[in-house]
Amino acid sequence: MTDYGLLLFAMGFVALGCRKPFLWVLFYCYVDIVAPQQVSWHLLAAVPLSLVVFVLAFGGWLALDDKADSRFTYRQGLICLLLVYCGCSTLVADYPAEAATKWAWVWKALIFAVFLPLTLRTRLRIEAVALVMILSVATIVISGGLKTVLGGGGYAALSLLVNTNTGLYEGSTLAMVASSIIPLIWWLARHGTIFPRHWTVTLFALALTFACLLIPIGTEARTGLLCAAMIAVLALRTVKRRFLYVALGSLALLVAIPFVPKSYTARLGTIENHEADESASTRLAVWSWTLGYVRDHPMGGGFESYLGNTLRYKKVVAPGTDAGDDTGSGYIEDKGRAFHSGYFEMLGEQGWPGLILWLTLQLTGLWQMERIRWKWKKRTGPDEQWQAPLATALQLSHCAYMVGALFVGIAYQPFILMLIAVQCGLWSYLKRIDAPAPRRLGQGARLKPLAAPPAAAPPAAA
Amino acid sequence: MIDLFAIVLTHGLLALAAWRLLSRDDLDRDPEPGPPADEDAPPPRVKRGLR
Repeated sequence: MTDYGLLLFAMGFVALGCRKPFLWVLFYCYVDIVAPQQVSWHLLAAVPLSLVVFVLAFGGWLALDDKADSRFTYRQGLICLLLVYCGCSTLVADYPAEAATKWAWVWKALIFAVFLPLTLRTRLRIEAVALVMILSVATIVISGGLKTVLGGGGYAALSLLVNTNTGLYEGSTLAMVASSIIPLIWWLARHGTIFPRHWTVTLFALALTFACLLIPIGTEARTGLLCAAMIAVLALRTVKRRFLYVALGSLALLVAIPFVPKSYTARLGTIENHEADESASTRLAVWSWTLGYVRDHPMGGGFESYLGNTLRYKKVVAPGTDAGDDTGSGYIEDKGRAFHSGYFEMLGEQGWPGLILWLTLQLTGLWQMERIRWKWKKRTGPDEQWQAPLATALQLSHCAYMVGALFVGIAYQPFILMLIAVQCGLWSYLKRIDAPAPRRLGQGARLKPLAAPPAAAPPAAA
Repeated sequence: MIDLFAIVLTHGLLALAAWRLLSRDDLDRDPEPGPPADEDAPPPRVKRGLR
């Protein structure tokens, strides 16, 4: 039943794309996030869906789309550089076979992040991509949130649509992404035109936000909670009624705490007492190993270079834990432990040049969104109200990712690369429409120059 | 059952969004700018979340 439904949905989307080829780009975003070929067990699974849809999206843009307004931004250039660098490091990787397996999906995500901004030529396209990204993540989040409410959660125990540990179906990654999309959900609810502002839209946004907040609880992923907390604090900078926001937030927290499962609060306790937590001890040991590794290999060891590590770390059992009241200690030896951090993943795999490239890509995104926010927030024109809030939402989501990446190896997470692509698209679009434009003396609001026909009159003298 | 509910709800919304996009000309080209506002007219009322 689900199988046929997904097949019909896919066929419908592809068919609609014949009229508006940009829908194929949207469909690729959906396929990349939901991976319906994994949800389906028979019909779609037999088709190389991702490849077919990418060919449609790229081919549709190449053959049918107007490219006059497409711009190549320097951040896309950075992604290209990163792509080439990763390709080279794969050729000389410490573990060639494993590196090739990771390269097989990383290059696609990077290529799509370069391609997507080229298609984002209109405001509606930017909104449509954001909407498809949110609804696609919602497919996983709603299911996970409902199961959490019904008691199906637990560390590595929450059953999602697909029983796999890859992509967004990995608990910590999903918790991070679920928390990070909350600002975008509210931007769509307030400024969306595909589903315009309406009480039903607000209700859906509320329910989806609740489901997103349930994911860190359901997966017992502490990172997700940190990301949500980060967004809640940073949002203070932009909310209009700060006092009300803080009061409602505190109230919601107080009401929620009694409903949080004990296993979750116990797990949260290890954030403070990290020495007693094996996962935290492993992280510290791997990070220290990585720093030593790049001293000898400053250019990195290629994908999956962590496989070469052998860790020996001391585990301290804190008083009052299940192990007993007496404080005991012992050494644990471990091999091939993953980086457990996007930053160290980048450092260990791509070395200092890769990390610098990657950090530049991230930080310039935050800076660009800040620039847009400052530039547009004081404008009063009817078509100038959505830009600053979108930049703020993208910036908050990105901040949440950067916090999440401290503890989860998600340096090349395709969803985040898509988010970066939307930032590039928004930056390039606003730069284009905000180019020197006809502006009359004494006119407060700027005229919208974008859609002026090619033969438009030259700008009036100011 | 829960999975089915989530799939039907979100895929229904995705399909509806795609259907609505089909009839939107501004998907491929931003609308032409309107005529300049009359300078004697009162400034437009800006609503929060104006679409």
